[in-house]
Amino acid sequence: MNAIEVKNLSKHFTLSKKRGVGQKKSNQSLANKNPSISGLVKAVDEISFDVKRGEIFGLLGPNGAGKTTTIRMLTGILKPTNGKITIFNKDLDKNRILIQQIMGHVPEMANVYLDLTGMQNLELIGELYGVSRKERKNRAELLLKKFELLNWKDSKAKKYSKGMRQRLLLCMGLMSDPVILFLDEPTSGLDVQSSIIIKELIKEYHASGMTIILTTHDMDIANELCNRIAIMNKGKIIGLDEPHNLRKLKQEYQALDVYIKGEIKIQEIEELTNIKKVQKKRGYYHIIVDNLKLAIGEVIEYAKANNLQLEKLNTYEPKLEEVFIKMINGETTL
Amino acid sequence: MTQDNEEDVFANRPKANTFFNQLKRSFSITKKDLRIYYNKGPVVIQGILFPIVLFIAFTLGRDIENIYLISGLVTMVLFLTATSIGPVVFPWETRQKTLERLLTCPISIRTILLGNIWSSFTFGSLFALVPLILASSIFRTWGSMKPWIIIPGIIIAALAFSSFSLILSVPPTDTPANTMMLTISIKFPLVFISPLFMPIDPTSYVLISPLTYFVDIINTGFTGTSAFGSYGLLLDFGVLLAFGLVFLLLAFFLHGKTVQKRF
Repeated sequence: MNAIEVKNLSKHFTLSKKRGVGQKKSNQSLANKNPSISGLVKAVDEISFDVKRGEIFGLLGPNGAGKTTTIRMLTGILKPTNGKITIFNKDLDKNRILIQQIMGHVPEMANVYLDLTGMQNLELIGELYGVSRKERKNRAELLLKKFELLNWKDSKAKKYSKGMRQRLLLCMGLMSDPVILFLDEPTSGLDVQSSIIIKELIKEYHASGMTIILTTHDMDIANELCNRIAIMNKGKIIGLDEPHNLRKLKQEYQALDVYIKGEIKIQEIEELTNIKKVQKKRGYYHIIVDNLKLAIGEVIEYAKANNLQLEKLNTYEPKLEEVFIKMINGETTL
Repeated sequence: MTQDNEEDVFANRPKANTFFNQLKRSFSITKKDLRIYYNKGPVVIQGILFPIVLFIAFTLGRDIENIYLISGLVTMVLFLTATSIGPVVFPWETRQKTLERLLTCPISIRTILLGNIWSSFTFGSLFALVPLILASSIFRTWGSMKPWIIIPGIIIAALAFSSFSLILSVPPTDTPANTMMLTISIKFPLVFISPLFMPIDPTSYVLISPLTYFVDIINTGFTGTSAFGSYGLLLDFGVLLAFGLVFLLLAFFLHGKTVQKRF
């Protein structure tokens, strides 16, 4: 079952030449990256996708790709210029408050109330979601404990480190016990320890059946956490698939680095079935292959047949990052 | 989360989209505002320092009747404090990125605005009571005071001025200083054209200031006579109610339009 269905979603901003009151720098940078007719910026341009219930869906893309604008539309903060968002078969435009009641949101910037304590921040969110007093207190303490903030619950959030604020934000996002959780760059700029805690907790909540939509420009996080990834660039989705399928797109990047004693005849090797191209490097051969497993077998066979001593063999598989860069450069499409 | 169908997803959730629930949630916004903004620079300057400075400027070296001293001081304190939080909250929260956090909660923009009004109201009316009590004690006017006129007057005026203050935060800026400029350029002329620390001339330009009607309520609350005749109090309350309602509806409309431009 789909938790979210998005059809032909667009968001256009009109920008004046001079940055005036309320004009955002981020929009300005968008304008620079995506200039179009008379100051109209297509921050999100006719995107369609669906998110299955219980999956972690990633929106991956460079800065200004439209990820945050998409999340803001999905969470009801921004009204789309065009298109339709349906959440559990309900139109978001017509049922915003009802739908927001089942959502949790962790925006990109650390935006806890710095003058409130950790507990007061959580209580505020609990009250705004209509959580009962008793339940609020229980939930807040449970979350603070889970996110290792219980000892700081009565300290003002301005005394928290960036990682602690991000964890408090996550607590706030989870305070409503959401069915769908939106995470906008959840580990951006965090130390390793905080990143690990957050990643582990995302996995834990996902295992409990929560649908999670996260934006990131960190390939490793997308690769590690997401069931499916949509790659966004210039307001459009340029690829949508499971991480391993996206990686497969860059087949020509599968390669072997072969360290061998003696000379090999490049032309002979290139005639082998799974070998595409051989480049002689300093001290080794870089062999671009079609099928990594079969190519290794062929290279070993070739070495045996020609009495060559194989010293070392390194495999090279494509990283999601390379697929990502190739896609946004328009070299690969799905 | 183990719901089996989409109906279950919404079924066990607290009801959000009713007037009562939204009203209740607006009080949570108020609690938050009062905790956060009472000591912010623009609020302290406009809510406490300005009334003191203006009071001294208006009264120093002048022979003013006690009643006009009380009504002028209470009006100025109420107006300046009730309009000190409203213009700050939106730009402040836009800059701190907490407005985005609020808007993803199941509350409407009107709920947030109502919350701001309650906090301005609380701040303004509590602060107005301080000079009222102090001045009445110093001038020993307790005997002539009619609290059944003055207290409803403070309530209505605080609500009206709080609604008015929300208009000042409509421009979608994230810099509180920008709204402060606008605020001062509107609030000060209003204070200067109002009949503070003097009798009301019902035929003069002072009628255009909403503060005039609150001054008249306080004066009537002590002297029993309105400057506008026998139906003066009705006029005072009617004008303040209308003023508050118009600005409340205008704030709902304009903030609804500009909130999208804050992101």
